[in-house]
Amino acid sequence: MNRIELAERIKTGILGIDVTEQDVRSHFATAKTYPFIAYAVDLSYLRLAKELLRETDMLLTAAVSYPFGGMTLATKLDQIRFALSVEAEEINATLNLNAIKSGDYDTVSSELRAMVEVANGAIDVIVIPQFEILTTFEKLKTCETLLEAGVCAVKTDGHGGLCQPEDVRLVRRVFGDAFSIEASGGIRTIAQVQELLDAGASFIHTSTALDLLRGADA
Amino acid sequence: MTDSRRVVHLKQIDHTELRTLATYDDIRRLCFEAVHCGFGAVALHPIHCERAAEHLRGSGVGIVAVVGFSTGAFSIEGKAFEARDAIERGATEIDFVINVGALRGGRHQLVLEEMRALREAAQGHTVKAILETNVLTDEEKRLACELAIDTGLDYVETSAGFASGGATVEDVRLMKEIAGDAVKVKASGGIRDAQTALAMIEVGASRLGTTAGVQIAQTLASMSNDLDREETK
Repeated sequence: MNRIELAERIKTGILGIDVTEQDVRSHFATAKTYPFIAYAVDLSYLRLAKELLRETDMLLTAAVSYPFGGMTLATKLDQIRFALSVEAEEINATLNLNAIKSGDYDTVSSELRAMVEVANGAIDVIVIPQFEILTTFEKLKTCETLLEAGVCAVKTDGHGGLCQPEDVRLVRRVFGDAFSIEASGGIRTIAQVQELLDAGASFIHTSTALDLLRGADA
Repeated sequence: MTDSRRVVHLKQIDHTELRTLATYDDIRRLCFEAVHCGFGAVALHPIHCERAAEHLRGSGVGIVAVVGFSTGAFSIEGKAFEARDAIERGATEIDFVINVGALRGGRHQLVLEEMRALREAAQGHTVKAILETNVLTDEEKRLACELAIDTGLDYVETSAGFASGGATVEDVRLMKEIAGDAVKVKASGGIRDAQTALAMIEVGASRLGTTAGVQIAQTLASMSNDLDREETK
């Protein structure tokens, strides 16, 4: 795949505690030279990113309850409403991982339904189950819960997790084409991208997309 | 040797559980340990506030909710909403991560406005501003402490504990130097033993955020027994 073909499978962005407005501007200035699918920022930079993205076809992605998912449903919904007000096109929301680890899928399910309801089709809900800390049973049960709640996009990892091709294969094998599988977490090389796409990933998330593309054919 | 009488009071410890893989049982255990050891508070994500409030009813142990955790990169209104919501669910204190990117980017007015909004949202409950000192210059640390004093916050706090590194003795000393008696200092992140806990108190920390509270309490108890034995000799 050449750089353009790769970029058309990649979602990028800049997230993190120490990111300044200048960091967002300069990261975006280079990112906009490629046809990336989407651009993610923390909520504090959502308005700024909306302005910047006007001149591109990239979707604006808002990070919700990011990165730990430890925010209450009320706060998650407040953040989704904010994302809607800024006209973001998709959210990346970390799930209530403590509920999953406690086997409390009822809570996971009711949170998801409420989120989908507030999103109301105006914004794509992509959730992060942080596969790295889940058992195989938890991964499958979580995906099942997502589908029942009407969420059909799953972003494998966030914040320090390393995306495993086996996870992508697992979800593809069990759920077929039901999900958009968005591989994320520690993806730094073209070899990783290729392996994850081969495993069935729909999109690749990486903040270092530009470094990555430099290693590809022009 | 009266030095070890410069003690860590167990009430100064915020018994902390912020891991994503913590289960409801872990939260129950955390609360039980806090009551049993006599810690001042538990510190946890807002999703656990109601559960902790149930476990801790009548115990006098406080509930610290972390807000804007851990990036601090949320809107001011969003963080204020989260703080009010946490208090409604039983939180007695708010530890919020400041907008670190705004501070580093020189947008000091925004940092100040955010502190004011959180002060107001907390409705008189204790508010601690987490600065994430590891990614700040000394000048930025100084400025953040001054803004916290201007706002009348209760504490400045070193770290969320998830970015690289946690509290250092040098940072706590620096923060105390600026803070004086106007605002207290909480050291958090990387405090895993009694020696480190004592070192933080020694340079001026009033509160400690740690996941190792139980071990620290045990070490302190045995140190204090040794001292008693020395004195009876």
